[in-house]
Amino acid sequence: MDFVQTAESILAKFDVLIEKLEADAAKDKLAIQAAERAAKAAAAAAAEAASAKPDVSVKTKTASAGQDGAEHVLQVRGLAKKFGTTTAVAGIDLDVRAGTIFGIVGPNGAGKTTTLSMVTGLLRPDAGTVIVHGADVWQDPAAAKRQMGVLPDRLRLFDRLTGSQLLFYAGVLRGLPADTVRERIGQLSSSFGLDEALARLVADYSAGMTKKLSLAAALIHSPRMLVLDEPFESVDPVSAANIIEILRKYVAAGGTVVLSSHSMDLIERVCDSVAIIVEGAVLASGTVKKVRGSGTLEDKFVKLAGGRTSVEGMEWLHSFSD
Amino acid sequence: MVAQFLGLKLRLLGNLFRRSPWQVFGMVVGLLYGLGAAFACVVGLVALRLADVELARSIVVVAGSLIVLGFLVVPLVFGADDTIDPRKFSLLGIPNGRLAAGLAAAAFIGVPALVLMIIAAAQVVTWSRSGPAAAFAVVSAVLLVVTGILGARVTTTVATLLLATRRAREATGLIALVVLSALSPLIAAMVTVDWQKQGLAVLHSIADVAAWTPLGAVWAAPALAAAGEMGPATGALAIAVGFVVLLWLAWRGLIAVMLVSPERVSRTRAYTGLGWFARLPATPAGAIAARSLSYWGRDPRYRSALVIVPIVPAVMIGALTIAGVPLHLLVLLPVPVMCFFLAWSTVHNDVAYDNTAVWLHVAANTDGRADRLGRVVPPLALGIIVIAVGTPLSAWAFGSADVVPSILGVSLCTLLVGLGLSSVISAGFPYPAVHPGDSPFAQPQSSAGAASWVQGLSLLGVLAVTAPTVFLAILGIAEGGGWHIAALLVGTATGIAALWGGIWLGGLVFDKRGPELLAFTAKY
Repeated sequence: MDFVQTAESILAKFDVLIEKLEADAAKDKLAIQAAERAAKAAAAAAAEAASAKPDVSVKTKTASAGQDGAEHVLQVRGLAKKFGTTTAVAGIDLDVRAGTIFGIVGPNGAGKTTTLSMVTGLLRPDAGTVIVHGADVWQDPAAAKRQMGVLPDRLRLFDRLTGSQLLFYAGVLRGLPADTVRERIGQLSSSFGLDEALARLVADYSAGMTKKLSLAAALIHSPRMLVLDEPFESVDPVSAANIIEILRKYVAAGGTVVLSSHSMDLIERVCDSVAIIVEGAVLASGTVKKVRGSGTLEDKFVKLAGGRTSVEGMEWLHSFSD
Repeated sequence: MVAQFLGLKLRLLGNLFRRSPWQVFGMVVGLLYGLGAAFACVVGLVALRLADVELARSIVVVAGSLIVLGFLVVPLVFGADDTIDPRKFSLLGIPNGRLAAGLAAAAFIGVPALVLMIIAAAQVVTWSRSGPAAAFAVVSAVLLVVTGILGARVTTTVATLLLATRRAREATGLIALVVLSALSPLIAAMVTVDWQKQGLAVLHSIADVAAWTPLGAVWAAPALAAAGEMGPATGALAIAVGFVVLLWLAWRGLIAVMLVSPERVSRTRAYTGLGWFARLPATPAGAIAARSLSYWGRDPRYRSALVIVPIVPAVMIGALTIAGVPLHLLVLLPVPVMCFFLAWSTVHNDVAYDNTAVWLHVAANTDGRADRLGRVVPPLALGIIVIAVGTPLSAWAFGSADVVPSILGVSLCTLLVGLGLSSVISAGFPYPAVHPGDSPFAQPQSSAGAASWVQGLSLLGVLAVTAPTVFLAILGIAEGGGWHIAALLVGTATGIAALWGGIWLGGLVFDKRGPELLAFTAKY
């Protein structure tokens, strides 16, 4: 019975923790909403100014406006990819508003990584278009890729470089001058807790450290949009909280984040909008509130992903073999 | 338990055939290669049935000792891929003795074991001269297979235990290279022995020693029995049995250690500052050059290519001297040959060496020309150093300063043309390369087909473009005068044109095929 008591006390602690987190999230949401309102006002002012001066308007005009007036920084239409005979992504449409965190969730093998690879220009799609802030990733990659910071999943890094060399490399490849890169390396490493690790070879990093370094490399050129594939995988909770804070500030300043994750809890807490992808198709998409309906996001997700398999006939597990 | 392990090994072997066609092709080549070697041994051993006992003994013992040595050393040096690492079974709670027996039994399934069994059986034919000799040969055959396979398992396990860290793994590859190059004097000594006169005496004396080592005893026992020396034959057999028992004990002990020892954690070294990145311009091309330079210095795959560079001309000169080419002409070869290998060895497949890390270039939309140019910098710098140091030395050894322009022309031409062509090839025709962090010798099997034609074609290309310069240089050596200057001018001009064109064209290909290159590296 000890076991049950311990479990209950742990559950109780979790409840307290979750409440606290939710309170935090609510506070953050309020701040974000305020920032959004400010951003919208600024955008409206900019649009007015732009209509007055046509030569400046090119940039804002090319990006189409959403129903609610806010700019769609990422538009995906009919994106599809086949590997041999298996369809990885079967015609996906996505719209991501500027200044939001957009979550992509789905079961293993649903096509999340394939989708994000095609969005970032790393994998050539069979069909469909990806428009990033008015530039087509596959027609005008120079303009589109400049707007994006990318954290791919399961791709190597140049791991024979030290952490600082890799960040420098990423910054310079993105066209930043050396002084700026050096300055940003210092700031990124202290906010990601990488100070100790920068002098070591990336090959000797732990998985979580590698993830944080990749994330820092994705941010270094201050892109308009971040595309992060599983950014919190194997990252410890403290670092994850730091990263979330960095992302929230970035979004409050008008940046956009598209991220994928397995953790519903995290998506629900962090994201403004979400798309549920199953077997290469978007089954639900919209604000977190709209998608989850009355239950939790996890319930909705499990329902859409084919439901829980019934746990029957496992009685043998309840009597131990020794 | 043993049956389950055998089943597992068979399943693993069968699954190898379900991979990509290239990998299956590579495996079939490996199998044919093994069977071919076994067949050659069988022919030799059967032929020795008719030979004089003393001669047959010496040949079998020396060759046999080498085979057993190979089984012991090859996994240690090449870092065999251990599909049934004992550690993988540590969570199953199998008693140590049964696990050792099961894993050892499973080791007898595979191409090396098959080859060894065929050779062991053929060795019985050699000694089927009398009843006792044949009986000894049969026992030896069994011991032989067990010694080879169990020995290989023991050394593989020792290797995985000791070489678990990245740094240690990388070090062994380099040590192996150094050992190989250190062996070349020995090979030279072997070459200088007058085999027709002293060959047999040397062979017999080696065999006399080898017969009483664990490597050779198992081969010597039936030979001694055939010669009628039953006492020594029994002694040799005892040594062989003792060795097998030792191997078995070592194997059991190793498994016990393996099951409780976690993978080793390496001590990491701290680097200060940005290294090459601080010294080169902060442009994409400069950063890529700095990255390449760091890799040439740190990555064993590049370093092993560097170690080869001085060895190749040394071996070439050695071989050609024996063939009777005058030495004062041969001294002209090293500089161009080293330039050629610098320009070609890794650069022509550089993108595959990056593996999927090249995504960073694709995601940043890096200009293809900057990418090509950056990758060319380390070999170009090294090549220029080689030319600057080597040209005066070569001319001095040749005995005339007149050839300096020709050496310069041909060397520059091979260096620049090689780099230019490599720039196109590495963007257009990558083939599977050793993965970052793997041993420099662990060439992926799948590379067999694609690699050879890409290599062959690019080699031919370099030769074709440098041919005019080489021709002018030869004219210069034969007739002297202005031909040397012509070789310098033509060589420099074709070199610069080829490098510029290669970087331009390669850059174009890289820009166009960036995502496809990334997809290629992700596939292997």
